[in-house]
Amino acid sequence: MMSFNFAIVLKFQEALLLGLWTTLKLTLICIVLGCVLGFLLALARASKSAILRGVSGVYVEFFRGTPVLVQLFWIFFCLPLILGVELSNMASGIIALTLYMGAISSETFRASLKSVGREQLDACVALGLSPWVRTTSVVLPQAVLRAAPTLLSNCVSLFKESALVSAVGMADLMFVGQNISNNTARPVEVLTVVALIYFVIAFPLTRAVTVVEQRILKRLAV
Amino acid sequence: MNYSFDFASVFRNFGPLWDGLLVTIQLTIAANAIGLTLGFLLALLVMSRWAVIRLPVTLFIEFFRCTPAIIQIVWFFYCVPILFNVFLGSVTMGIMALGLNLAAFNAEAYRASIQAVPREQLDAGIALGLNPFQRILYIVLPTAVRNSIPVLLTNGIGIFQQSALVAIVAVQDLMYQGKTLATQTYRPIETFTIIALVYFAVSFPVSQVVGYLERRREAMAS
Repeated sequence: MMSFNFAIVLKFQEALLLGLWTTLKLTLICIVLGCVLGFLLALARASKSAILRGVSGVYVEFFRGTPVLVQLFWIFFCLPLILGVELSNMASGIIALTLYMGAISSETFRASLKSVGREQLDACVALGLSPWVRTTSVVLPQAVLRAAPTLLSNCVSLFKESALVSAVGMADLMFVGQNISNNTARPVEVLTVVALIYFVIAFPLTRAVTVVEQRILKRLAV
Repeated sequence: MNYSFDFASVFRNFGPLWDGLLVTIQLTIAANAIGLTLGFLLALLVMSRWAVIRLPVTLFIEFFRCTPAIIQIVWFFYCVPILFNVFLGSVTMGIMALGLNLAAFNAEAYRASIQAVPREQLDAGIALGLNPFQRILYIVLPTAVRNSIPVLLTNGIGIFQQSALVAIVAVQDLMYQGKTLATQTYRPIETFTIIALVYFAVSFPVSQVVGYLERRREAMAS
């Protein structure tokens, strides 16, 4: 009969915390960069220029249509060859997950941009606002407000997908967990605790999505 | 950049890649079979009147939705044999891990559309003297399934992409064969690009179908 010893996990809490810190850092950086990229992509996809529309469309469809793991491998192994420079693990991870976050959040922004009424844009023209002012002061605030719930759930997805960087040897929570589990031969305890750590962070966020959604629906209804 | 491309080296190894693709498709179809049926069952259970049933099922669903798929798969491969003392083939294990993950996501999709079945239809079912089982089979199931098709398709194709994760636990799917080939031939750019294109060629048409279905529904609703 097997016996479980969850106390063993406590011995490695520092390593796990360090891994968690890497995971969180990576996720946060990619959320910020990815949202900016996503908003720009959404604008490009709605632009008048067919080239911009085409390029951004292909980019978004490609990143949504391929596994994140393949994207990661591509960026880790192929990008350094193409660019001819050595990229650190962290840099490659940031590039890969930012590109992914950009693609999924651009769809979210696109849907919310569509919901900004045509009349408002006409009003901007009538008021003589420049395209820059129109975008930053009229379109952006509304688009962000409407996109907020979906954007938040995109962030949760990104947090979960970030565990993939362990496959290319980045020392995130998943990687550290797998290492400890292999070295101690106690996969049940270690992997369960790692899964619980992810859960404890992601679950409240998914609840927050529901709360934010209801708040915004209320606000928009007024 | 002075890198000479040699895509022919990938095509020379067409055999293993084709075998890998077949495994990937097998994983996807089997996981979808589990996800579509078990997901519906979970959706019914999660709306049960009794907390004894509702709470564990909710916990199961939320746990699968709020942890990274990669840890679920690694956990499954390392811990299930220890905990339950069963040793199944690696493809079977992969199918079960992906199937349970998909079931959790599909359960949410079903739940949303089951709750959207109008109350009056159920009342009519009671008035017609249908028993609870018949009401589910003839009234709830057809409407709910039809309404959730776009989300179910999106989830289904999502699991096709997530299936690449089993390569990490050495199931010989498309991703695994691609990884092996890239190392053997020293041609990561060509190999990973082709792999990405193969995944894309399967996902993209399905996502276009989803888009078409959603547009048609919007047109019908308005």
